[in-house]
Amino acid sequence: MSVVSLRLKERDIKRIKELSMIEGKDKSTVARELLASGWEFRMIRFYKEGKLSLSGLAARLDLSVSETIDLLAELGIKAPIEYDDYIKGFEAVR
Amino acid sequence: MDAVFDSSTLILLAKIDTLRMVTEDVHAFIPARVRTECLAKETFDAAMIASMIAEKKITVERAGPDAAVRKLARDFRIERGEAEALWLARKQHFVLAVDDGPTIKACRILGQPFVTAVHFLIQMRNAGRLNAEAAMVKFEMLGRFGRYGERIVEDAARRIREGTR
Repeated sequence: MSVVSLRLKERDIKRIKELSMIEGKDKSTVARELLASGWEFRMIRFYKEGKLSLSGLAARLDLSVSETIDLLAELGIKAPIEYDDYIKGFEAVR
Repeated sequence: MDAVFDSSTLILLAKIDTLRMVTEDVHAFIPARVRTECLAKETFDAAMIASMIAEKKITVERAGPDAAVRKLARDFRIERGEAEALWLARKQHFVLAVDDGPTIKACRILGQPFVTAVHFLIQMRNAGRLNAEAAMVKFEMLGRFGRYGERIVEDAARRIREGTR
């Protein structure tokens, strides 16, 4: 692991301390876990907004496409497929 | 029907145990990258897809030139597997089976015919391969994994119940 120093707001330091106490983990571990959760959240949001494809999301979360589908189902994240796209799809099966 | 499958639709149909039934009516093709994506981990769907590739129910084809696939990926902000599937469908003039939003947008821009997993399920129901009850059970599973919007779910449920296109 590399060492990086960064400036944090007092509020964020308080949050890391609080989480560290709640979960009984050292502050570095908590900070790393928060970064990972933030990355996951941001990537899922990109996917939800249609800025990231399903395979793109899977690659960024280090998951297989199948595992990513399971995760999205568990979190209840809707697929970015419009009703109009669905109706258009019937043209191909006529 | 001949169709190129992206990993999204292939995995969804495998998860609801309908892929084998679909390939009785549809000639299924996948590019090499989609095979890699689908078989990345040992899951139920991966085992089913691997078995169907071995049985030649799903044909794996090479996609590219590489530059053309990369251009599709870059232009539409999709990944390699989705771009390979799109390239192959366009090249062969086949339908693209895809449940990925950005790739569907690319299809619409390029005039590429596409379907999703729910279209196949409705088609299986209309073809009499599934009765209303069996189709609804699979549709409920597909709804969970496919995560379609409310309007799509309502319309598809009606079509499946009534058995109409």
